[in-house]
Amino acid sequence: MATNACLVVSLWISCLLATSHATTFSSLQRTIILTASPQAGQVLKAGEDNITLTWSLNTTFPSGTDSYKDVTVELCYAPISQKDRGWRKTVDELAKDKTCQHNIVKKPYTSSNTTFTWTVRKDVPGATYFVRAYALDSAGREVAFGQTTDAHKTANLFEVEAIIGRHVSLDIASACFSAFSILSLLGFFFMDKRKGKPSK
Amino acid sequence: MAGIEGSPGSSMHGVTGREPVHAFSVASPIVPTDTTAKFDLPVDSEHKAKKFKLFSFANPHMRTFHLSWISFFTCFVSTFAAAPLVPIIRDNLNLTKSDIGNAGVASVSGSIFSRLVMGAVCDLLGPRYGCAFLVMLSAPTVFCMSLVSSAGGYVAVRFMIGFSLATFVSCQYWMSTMFNSKIIGTVNGTAAGWGNMGGGATQLIMPVLYDIIKKTGSTPFTAWRIAFFIPGWLHIIMGILVMTLGQDLPDGNRSALQKKGNVAKDQFGKVLWYAVTNYRTWIFALLYGYSMGVELSTDNVIAEYFYDRFDLKLHLAGIIAATFGMANLLARPFGGFASDYSARYFGMRGRLWTLWILQTLGGVFCLLLGRADSLPLAVAFMIIFSIGAQAACGATFGVIPFVSRRSLGIISGLAGAGGNFGSGLTQLLFFSTSKYTTEEGLEYMGIMIICCTLPVMLVHFPQWGSMFLPPNNKASEEHYYTSEYTEEEVQKGMHHNSLKFAENSRSERGNRIASAPTPPSATPNYV
Repeated sequence: MATNACLVVSLWISCLLATSHATTFSSLQRTIILTASPQAGQVLKAGEDNITLTWSLNTTFPSGTDSYKDVTVELCYAPISQKDRGWRKTVDELAKDKTCQHNIVKKPYTSSNTTFTWTVRKDVPGATYFVRAYALDSAGREVAFGQTTDAHKTANLFEVEAIIGRHVSLDIASACFSAFSILSLLGFFFMDKRKGKPSK
Repeated sequence: MAGIEGSPGSSMHGVTGREPVHAFSVASPIVPTDTTAKFDLPVDSEHKAKKFKLFSFANPHMRTFHLSWISFFTCFVSTFAAAPLVPIIRDNLNLTKSDIGNAGVASVSGSIFSRLVMGAVCDLLGPRYGCAFLVMLSAPTVFCMSLVSSAGGYVAVRFMIGFSLATFVSCQYWMSTMFNSKIIGTVNGTAAGWGNMGGGATQLIMPVLYDIIKKTGSTPFTAWRIAFFIPGWLHIIMGILVMTLGQDLPDGNRSALQKKGNVAKDQFGKVLWYAVTNYRTWIFALLYGYSMGVELSTDNVIAEYFYDRFDLKLHLAGIIAATFGMANLLARPFGGFASDYSARYFGMRGRLWTLWILQTLGGVFCLLLGRADSLPLAVAFMIIFSIGAQAACGATFGVIPFVSRRSLGIISGLAGAGGNFGSGLTQLLFFSTSKYTTEEGLEYMGIMIICCTLPVMLVHFPQWGSMFLPPNNKASEEHYYTSEYTEEEVQKGMHHNSLKFAENSRSERGNRIASAPTPPSATPNYV
């Protein structure tokens, strides 16, 4: 009886420990200063325009940055683009968080200023964004972050105008095959009628 | 009762009671073979096939079967082609959850009306033209998908593509001109099930096409548009095959169909009246909405669900979603078979219980699917849900032929419409707003299935009873089926077919009567 109870309690404790291993966003400190070139409200064209990013460590924070190994920079959805779109939902547990779905770059961490210029990829959807950087430890887990917007994600947001994906060649092909379908239908129909008339 | 030729049971002359229950063929004494006809299969006096030879393509009977079900399959493929690609399309067109939900509702709503129109078209032009016209005229709508650039356009195109689901009607109608009525139930059930498989196959085909096209260098937002050309081409190919290889009747093409005037024999108004005033019609329309209807709704949401909830790659989510629809290959015929099997021992009561059990099972596992947190559990629950729902579809059409003889066509049509309506309703309620997550939507859909299946307990046949009530010993099958005719019509002798049917349907009393196992003639000329 007592051993059973011990087993249950130890299982329960290990479960707790396991869940507490999951990194949450609220546990991260904003130790990185990140700036991006787009002005607030600017519209960038996917596939054409660039974003220039600069990041560095905020020196007001005490050290503890020895664990930082890499920095990954992501393009993240602003709240307005998450509305009514559950597949972009912000969740505190980082493994389940869907706010940042487009990776910009991953670079090794240096405490000095780093700059990177990125051309907005063609598969980036049209939406309102901000940029966030995560500092990763050697196990790839997030330990700190920095972002171009404030804590409420309302300031300094920019838009991306996506490509539509339509092409003139596709439009023409559509029209041709549609016409072929209708014309061949009518063709067969009238051929049938003509064949049928004398025998019936 | 005036008008019965000979004593009760005399029409069963020649039946030995040892014929197989589930009809893949009907033996000679029951339906005489026309020995002068030179067809691959034994035929009756109208040259309709008496045997169903699955792997043959012989002209005209089996060839018609294959042309018919493959056309229906193609339309299912194109109607649900967008579903597995929604994760890409929603980013391209900046869709919200309401847009996606509305498009899903639109995709199943169009066919409610187009199926009714198709019935008339089949009457006027014949099923071969009906099928070919619909398939080839809906090809442009599939190609239009590549032109869409907004949410409104997306909803509109999915609505238009959805019209093509009316090929169900032409499929069933065409087969009733080619197959004897004693085996038409099995033939139509198989064709319907295999056509429905298209909703599953598309979840597999479209992501694979998308991947291949992307590998050749297209951006994602162009690749999905190009992928839609393949279903479009399938429409054109099937339309041409139907026009060139198909024929309207076993003996050749049309014009004889007009002489037959099968539909004009009865008054449409009367037939409609008896369908609409039979309460069982509405119960089965509701029930079908929660077997077929939920199948269509799930076809629309399941791939996106697995992609989002379990973070799977697009083609893997597609494979899992495909198993849902592909279960139709066996599940739907199984439902019909289970219905027939239970009727052997328990009659109509057995059929009703079978239907209730299968459909409720589907509902329970839909609920569990919504609750499942791990991928293997979710897949397992989804598969059992699919078997339950699809077998329930088959079982529903095991009972519907007995609800009415005179109005069978319209009742089948109303049940079919109920299916699409149920699908639109569940998508609107549970999958169109951000009020519920998709997993919550599945849970509530499961609960709704269980609740909306309960009315089957209210279905009561005076001569056979219901799930809980025994039959009225004084009631007879003849009385039930003749009550659909007025006194004058009975005087005119219009009810003779119903009387014959009534005699055959005595097998629905179950083991109490040494029954003639051959199932009575099932689905009619048009559904």
